[in-house]
Amino acid sequence: MEKNSKRNLIITLATIGIISALVLTFVYEWTTPYIEANQAKAQKQAINEVLPNVEEVEEVEKNGNIFYEGYDANGNQIGVAFQNSGGGYNGMIEVMIGVDLKDNKIYKISVLNHQETPGLGARITEPEFKSNFENKNFGDYQVVKTPPKKETEVQAIAGATISSDSMTEIIEEGLDIVTSAYGGGN
Amino acid sequence: MSIDFKELIKDFTNGLWAENPIIRLVIGMCPTLAVTNTASNGLAMGLATSFVLIMSEIVISIIKKLIPANVRIPSYILIIATFVTFTDYFLKAFFPGIAASLSIFIPLIVVNCLILGRQEAFASKNPTHRAIADGLGMGIGFTWVLTLLGMIRELFGMGSMFGFQLLGEWYRPMVIMVLPAGAFITLGILVGIMNQISREGK
Amino acid sequence: MEEFNQILLLFISTVLINNFVLIRFLGICPFLGVSKQVETAFSMGLATTFVMTLTAGATWLINTFILEALNLPFLQYVSFIIVIASLVQFVEMFIKKTSPVLYKALGIFLPLITTNCAIMGLALLIPLNGYSFIASVVFGFGAGVGFTLAIVLIAGLREKLEFGDVPEVLKGVPVTLIVAGIMAMAFMGFSGLISM
Repeated sequence: MEKNSKRNLIITLATIGIISALVLTFVYEWTTPYIEANQAKAQKQAINEVLPNVEEVEEVEKNGNIFYEGYDANGNQIGVAFQNSGGGYNGMIEVMIGVDLKDNKIYKISVLNHQETPGLGARITEPEFKSNFENKNFGDYQVVKTPPKKETEVQAIAGATISSDSMTEIIEEGLDIVTSAYGGGN
Repeated sequence: MSIDFKELIKDFTNGLWAENPIIRLVIGMCPTLAVTNTASNGLAMGLATSFVLIMSEIVISIIKKLIPANVRIPSYILIIATFVTFTDYFLKAFFPGIAASLSIFIPLIVVNCLILGRQEAFASKNPTHRAIADGLGMGIGFTWVLTLLGMIRELFGMGSMFGFQLLGEWYRPMVIMVLPAGAFITLGILVGIMNQISREGK
Repeated sequence: MEEFNQILLLFISTVLINNFVLIRFLGICPFLGVSKQVETAFSMGLATTFVMTLTAGATWLINTFILEALNLPFLQYVSFIIVIASLVQFVEMFIKKTSPVLYKALGIFLPLITTNCAIMGLALLIPLNGYSFIASVVFGFGAGVGFTLAIVLIAGLREKLEFGDVPEVLKGVPVTLIVAGIMAMAFMGFSGLISM
């Protein structure tokens, strides 16, 4: 029977392949607007979280990076939010950092995306870990296992040293990028 | 076309217990251990996998006569991969929370030996209405074990169930339960218990 | 030599700290299925490592030069699985020609490497972590070595268990899972390894 001939083989796979590609193109076009809307919403929420009292956000590009300048109801600049990402324990972690350029401090941070282990590394999203970076002066941060004694110390999550280290690195790098774009603080 | 309902019911109930994919056939294990750290993750994963399983079984049972035998596996895989991609984008668009929790385990549905296995063992040899019954049965069978495992691990590992905190402050969570080690051990004990139940039933 | 250190670290962490089977839960099916004898397990591990290393490189190339260049992210899963299936086919033919004995020993498990979620998982993790080409290949190799390590260890334990006093209900899959759990706990101890 001709059924198993090479020609039929190629035709079958090619047909399935083409139909699959067409179907998926359609699915992609259909879902992309929703996916982008979700991401924009998450980003907006993160910016609101890391810049206190922010009313208006202006997107600015410097040195090839995008910064979100936040202004309060009176038009005064509150600070700058920057999204940085880096490798964590299980994949990329995306962090939004709210920076106060007048006092050279971090307002707050927010985790947008991560793949860390639930119950351990995933606790980077919890207030307890995030508070390590609240109202924190710029500096060389060190991750420690005990409650921090110095301002530059960051307390690691128990059993999730790597996730804690990664977060600290991502935030430090983010600060470097912000300060080099905005002139190292006054 | 006559439909034998007795046979259909048997096709369906098969996957629920007698040939339960996880406990009996021991296939589809990767997601079973990985995404059952919470009950809702287990449930979502089960449902997503069931969707891909049922749709693939339907399509393949319809076009089974058109596929030459020597390319059937690659063909099945292509079809499965298409449905998985659809599921992935669908979840990302309309259920981003679930998509984020399940992360790479959604694309891993493509290589879930349960789905490919059922195409080869059933859908490619049976009429569509039976394939649907099989898909539903296997899918629900897969889902209930995943959800149960998730419930146990979440309860002991975090004191909650489906996100609702059940055990109060007094409970010291057994973190090991949300970790790989706890998953292995819990599933091992569960399968052992199920084996015992089915032996007593004889 | 900074980059070399990074690569070495990546290798060690992939084999031990983030072991694909015991920590990431990838590759469980063959882990449970092919681990009854150390010899078979080792051969399986070798074949899988070979496929994984090639897959890492191939999917990196496809992702970078086709999927990203042409903006076709939605074809990722479909194209990756095609690559994996083709590579397994190729490895199958290669083993058949060079070592018919091995080919016979592995039997049906060889084509089943295609459905090993560790390989697909590996292919997906590479773009997620943004690895370079070299890092990807090392990652793939490390994943294979880690998989082989896990599967050989548990095969060794299972061989011993054959003669042990295992309660009837736990025989087979349950006791394997429990032993794997204990192994996973042991591997967790490695997580402190790279913090110096």
